[in-house]
Amino acid sequence: MKKHNSFSIEGQKARWGWFFVAPAILFFCLFSLYPMLNALWNTFFNVKLLSLKKPEFVGLKNYAYVLSSPDFWSSVKATVIFTLSSFIPLTVFSLVFGLIITTRKKRHQLLQMLIYSPAVLSSVVAALIWLLLFDPRGIANSLVNFLMRTPGIDHKWLTEPAKLYMATAMIYFWKYIGYFTIIVATGVAKIPTSVLEAATIDGASVRQTIGRIIMPLLRPTTMMVSIVAMLNCMKSFSTQYLFTQRGAPNAPLNVLTLNIYKTAMRDRYISRACVMSFILFFFMMILTIVRMKTSESKE
Amino acid sequence: MLRDKSFSNRMSNLVINILVVLFLCVILMPILFMFTASFMKSSEIFSMPYRWIPKEFYAKNYFNAVTDYGRNLTFVRTIINSLIVASATTVLSVIVSAFAGYGLSKFKFRGQQVVFLMIMGRMMIPFEAIMIPMYIIAVRLHLQNTYTGLVLPFVLNTFGIFQMRQYLLSFPDEMLDAGRIDGLGEFGIFSKLVFKNSTPAIATAAILCFRGQWDNLLWPLLLSQKEMMKTIPAYLVKFTEEKYADEGAMMAVAVMASIPIIILFLTLSKYFLGGSAMYSSSKE
Repeated sequence: MKKHNSFSIEGQKARWGWFFVAPAILFFCLFSLYPMLNALWNTFFNVKLLSLKKPEFVGLKNYAYVLSSPDFWSSVKATVIFTLSSFIPLTVFSLVFGLIITTRKKRHQLLQMLIYSPAVLSSVVAALIWLLLFDPRGIANSLVNFLMRTPGIDHKWLTEPAKLYMATAMIYFWKYIGYFTIIVATGVAKIPTSVLEAATIDGASVRQTIGRIIMPLLRPTTMMVSIVAMLNCMKSFSTQYLFTQRGAPNAPLNVLTLNIYKTAMRDRYISRACVMSFILFFFMMILTIVRMKTSESKE
Repeated sequence: MLRDKSFSNRMSNLVINILVVLFLCVILMPILFMFTASFMKSSEIFSMPYRWIPKEFYAKNYFNAVTDYGRNLTFVRTIINSLIVASATTVLSVIVSAFAGYGLSKFKFRGQQVVFLMIMGRMMIPFEAIMIPMYIIAVRLHLQNTYTGLVLPFVLNTFGIFQMRQYLLSFPDEMLDAGRIDGLGEFGIFSKLVFKNSTPAIATAAILCFRGQWDNLLWPLLLSQKEMMKTIPAYLVKFTEEKYADEGAMMAVAVMASIPIIILFLTLSKYFLGGSAMYSSSKE
């Protein structure tokens, strides 16, 4: 700041501006910037948790190790399958239900609250409820057997890999479908009624109105929902953690976050965990940038 | 759009209503299951077809859940921990967000753009990517098993800052100037005029933060090894590991772990819904 400025009103206001953003900057430096740089630094060294030895420089060895380890690739596979199998149904059905509930005018507030309710529960609670529903003696088996007329069959929701993917994706779907439906519904409600009225006057059918008018206008919302859903799925941890703690097979549940946690806390390989964090961060960053770009183009 | 009263339209209306009801059943069934199963013995939970009304209300589940079968009150302690951590994080993060949002929207200073971009950039860093170095820092500062350690990493709430800034951009400057003329200091203007008149934005940010902390498992799992410093999600996981076969008690713990957040939802639902609605209106 220039000297002759600092006693003027402008200068004083500028100082107050700094005063108000200072706490945020402080927390940013301490709890975001520093850990980030520290994580990057760690990836080039051989850091072990609680070891008193000075970490030695190993160059790209950690990256080489992680990228050639089957354990890491099985985690990538688990994360990708889980993410795809939850965010695609989430996006599609939130669009469908979002469109449907905006046509229901009666008791709108109550309907929204009921739909939203699973998102209020914590992830561990959600996982716990479904753990019991998917129990060999539980409701899931009895319902499927009733519908498929196959009495007494155990569908092994919590032991077969393919079923485990389905089970975890279903939990995620259940927990977040209401949340995203509300987002879509808000997006639909924002479409000016004059546009819809004009369409009706011009004799557009319901199908045409949805396909030609609502969907294109809803594109930014759809984009946003799918990316936010994808980001959330990539970060998911609680469900998988609870299931493995209850003895479900590890491979299909070993998502990246769980692998990072175990590598750092159980095996104590901080550096390798940091490498994995960075890979996860890289993909999430790309998605976030895409999301910001799409919400900008809306303006 | 669907105002036509012809027969086919009434039929499609009916079909849509049925779809809505089915959808609601799928959504609400697991929650209802949680409540009813929490009053059942394990054997009754798994006797199919499931009875949606418990035969006898087996309230002992709740006693077992709260007192860990009459042994200790760790559960109560963890609930209190969760309340302390979530409330402290919420209060601090709301203050920091309101400060920063105000500074970024109503003042001009050099470097403002840089600060704003920095905070936006932080949105891209998932907590999972920095939790390990964060943990090492916490260990060095001896913050393991402390409330401070559980709270501090979550005080910076970039989404909250962004929302506050957007909200305050449309806050009337005349009001601030009137405050200045009336002799309020800059800080007085913030606390008496700005903060008090931003209730919707503040409430939404607060609710989102509280909910997030109530749900937080990963960080407390890293940081709190002591039983006495665990929070509710970690306690739930441990309880299910140990009481492998007592499903009724598990559901009782789950119900009680959800009660504070359910109360919050029932009283302040519009801010919960507003929080998710904000996503689609964040650029107004």
